[in-house]
Amino acid sequence: MAIMSRRKFLSRATTSIVGGIAALMGIPTIAYLVSPAKARGGLGVDAIPLGPTSKVPIGEPTLFKATIERKTGWVTQAEELAFYVNTEDGRNFTAMSNVCTHLGCRVRWVGDQEQFFCPCHNAAFARNGTVASGPPPRALDQYELSVEDGQLFVVGKIEA
Amino acid sequence: MMEKVGLWFEERMGWKPIWKALALRNIPKVNWAYTLGSATLLVMINQILTGILLTIYYVPSPQDAYSSVAFITNEITAGWLIRGLHHWGASAMVVLAGLHMIRVVVHGAYKFPREVTWFTGLGLLAVTLAFGFTGYLLPWDQKAYWATTVGTRMLEVTPVIGEWLLRFARGGEELSAVTLTRFYGMHIWVLPAILLVLVGIHMFLVVRIGISAPPKASTREEEPEEDAEVKA
Repeated sequence: MAIMSRRKFLSRATTSIVGGIAALMGIPTIAYLVSPAKARGGLGVDAIPLGPTSKVPIGEPTLFKATIERKTGWVTQAEELAFYVNTEDGRNFTAMSNVCTHLGCRVRWVGDQEQFFCPCHNAAFARNGTVASGPPPRALDQYELSVEDGQLFVVGKIEA
Repeated sequence: MMEKVGLWFEERMGWKPIWKALALRNIPKVNWAYTLGSATLLVMINQILTGILLTIYYVPSPQDAYSSVAFITNEITAGWLIRGLHHWGASAMVVLAGLHMIRVVVHGAYKFPREVTWFTGLGLLAVTLAFGFTGYLLPWDQKAYWATTVGTRMLEVTPVIGEWLLRFARGGEELSAVTLTRFYGMHIWVLPAILLVLVGIHMFLVVRIGISAPPKASTREEEPEEDAEVKA
């Protein structure tokens, strides 16, 4: 093995140490910057109370509004959520988001057309939330409901 | 491979002579005390990088300052590390700059022709202390609040303009949101700008004039030896 010159050894050692420090700092730096991106949705609470089942006429999606406290970063803010609740038989209820899956505008149930309508880009969703026309990439988000003593609660999101 | 890439750039940028002048310059035979300046520079780079990272989450308002710092420390990945490096680095920088100055004084390295290096060095020490003072308020906890209350109060004893200085430093009669934002602005914009200018001059002179050799204990006969170094 060839003997390395003193100058070359010191030069390589310095480069290695500087590189080591840079890596030692670089990895936590990336973790630090990426950190908040890891937190993903969820409801933020166990159950969101909506209201009595008696408010939902059979076959007519009905909008319920609920306010939850959500903590983002170090700030806790009241956030208003809305869900369309539908029932075909008065016993089984389904809930879906009123947020258009295209770019996040709020959709509205238009009774005489039997469709959810989004005003932003003329999207339409069918009664069960599937895309009827327009640009949305997927159906409206569905939520899991539970009924206790005639009261509706949103308890989770149904992953498609 | 790397050599080829290096050559490609060298052909177009010609930075080798500059690199040689900066990093491969000749220096006198020195000891470990001569690394204090470089150590201060390294900690300064640490302060700049971690400081930039802290501004990603920190908010300089009385409502948010404390909780955003707590958020960095407790919830962001490696936030404790970044903040810790900035916090301890601040103290380390003051200590290292102080030791560096003591070395220069003891060796008489401030003498001709290095007076300007010395003056910018004094400026850098003052800026470093100002960094420490303004940065101390930013976490907006009890210790920060009262330290700044006491610290700014000292300005008041200045003859004639004392009262005005106090109000200038606080941005009003009392510590408030205005104090916090002006300390923040000083800390992240004004002081770094001054620091970089001074460091630039300081480093330029270190390269341009070269550093002084450690003084030798001379006997009476061979006294006027210092002049030789100046001519060289």
